[in-house]
Amino acid sequence: MVFITAEEILETVRMIQGENLDVRAITLGIALNDCAARHVDEVCHRIYEKIVRRAEQLVPVALSLQRKYGVPIVNRRVAVTPIADVVASDDPADFVQVAHALDAAAEAVGVDFVGGFSCLVQKGFSRGDAALVNAIPEAVATTAAVCSSVNVASTRAGINMDAVSRMADVLLDTAARTADRDSIGCAKIVVFCNVPEDNPFMAGALHGSGEPEVSVNVAISGPGVVRNVVRANPQASFTELADLIKRTAFKITRVGELVAREASLQLGAEMGIIDLSLAPTPKVGDSIAEILESMGLERAGAPGSTAALALLNDAVKKGGVMATSSTGGLSGAFIPVSEDAAMARAAAEGALCIEKLEAMTAVCSLGLDMIVVPGHISRAALAGTIADVMAIGMVNQKTTGARLIPAVGKREGDWVRLGGLFGEAPVMRVSGAGNEAFLARGGRIPAPLQSLRN
Amino acid sequence: MRTSVIVTVLGPDRHGLLAAIAAAIAEQNANVDDVSQTVSNGMFTMIMFVSFDEAEATLQDLQRALAQVSDRMGLQIHVQHENIFKFMHRI
Repeated sequence: MVFITAEEILETVRMIQGENLDVRAITLGIALNDCAARHVDEVCHRIYEKIVRRAEQLVPVALSLQRKYGVPIVNRRVAVTPIADVVASDDPADFVQVAHALDAAAEAVGVDFVGGFSCLVQKGFSRGDAALVNAIPEAVATTAAVCSSVNVASTRAGINMDAVSRMADVLLDTAARTADRDSIGCAKIVVFCNVPEDNPFMAGALHGSGEPEVSVNVAISGPGVVRNVVRANPQASFTELADLIKRTAFKITRVGELVAREASLQLGAEMGIIDLSLAPTPKVGDSIAEILESMGLERAGAPGSTAALALLNDAVKKGGVMATSSTGGLSGAFIPVSEDAAMARAAAEGALCIEKLEAMTAVCSLGLDMIVVPGHISRAALAGTIADVMAIGMVNQKTTGARLIPAVGKREGDWVRLGGLFGEAPVMRVSGAGNEAFLARGGRIPAPLQSLRN
Repeated sequence: MRTSVIVTVLGPDRHGLLAAIAAAIAEQNANVDDVSQTVSNGMFTMIMFVSFDEAEATLQDLQRALAQVSDRMGLQIHVQHENIFKFMHRI
């Protein structure tokens, strides 16, 4: 019999009720390889039927676990096999049709998003990959739940710079197609380096080729809990602080482990991974930037922010790996701007700039995430910014992503309200120094040397 | 099968709190296995270990019954399966 103390019981209640501890997402990964067919109508039928069949209990199970344990399970999602691996076509219209089938299936089972309108092109495009990428703007702009990601770089392959430039085109096209909604379509597109196969977070979730038929991946959260621990210990040394964060991360991760075990049993799916990420929301008190502020920085972006984030990220992982043997996904503190109210405030006040965010992403997850840039940004500037993020991931053998929103009609300093969990943010400055000749070279930046690592 | 839950109660102290909560639990055919409570600066805190047979009661009905007590008496009452507490703090 496990003995539970009154202090532990009250601490658990406080973390959930007062500090926004939640399970950020249960994502059901579904393999769609067996949905391939000669005609796209048949592919769409099979995809719709399989998602509805395998995911129809996802929302009821999540709600039942939420009630049983009293822990909010904020999002329910589906991730699928990269669609370029399922659809044998070189016609973008076929891929748009598949996106609509995914969207209809998502609506039928009541999930927030479906991820996997994706392809991996770090070494080059197949004809199907090219067609999928061409279809992304229309697919994302004309669906509600479909999320897209394209892996353009890896540590083993280098950076496909042609793909980087192509994704800049895709973002600009998507921004224009969703201009009436502050170009929100771009919030559903991620450009990746070293994309994980089991990431439960959107917009970058997909169900990789090494995954089982169906798996449950769980994203934990709890920035508010960590912030309160940091705030309650203003005199703690960095060593003591790391220890406190580790203890807290352990508890947060255990909740994810419990939910993942039970959800996978009830859904008849393999238990996949627990993603040890601290993910903020726009809600006050649910912020990574507030953790940095509680460490003693006036604002996120102040000198020392990268070091503070390195401490936080490492301690979360160390605490988390003690709590579960199924780590995976992105597993790192997220630093999105629009989805973190204190991060957005720091950007608006000038304390935080894109270049600082680049430095910070070298020590955490996930890259330049949910950053609004001027709508008139050039293709080359957008591509160069993406390439920089990819380079950090490639050289450091880690996942990085770029989720950039060139908001049509908006200029530096304007405020963009994306709504819901996407939050709001100021339009951030991108260097105006020219880079067209650099991008025009094309080709691939070779994979980096894995020794002599200074 | 027997289900064990933990009921936590927080709120301003007043007469009849324990009686009202215990009565609601009994009406749902659930049993109070253990209870501890403190009152500090007028703030009432109580932890109850409650169990019930799934053939005779449901978690949802118990939560609903205690939510009514919560509304009536101005308390925060949470009813959670005991595994969340066991799991969070131990391997």
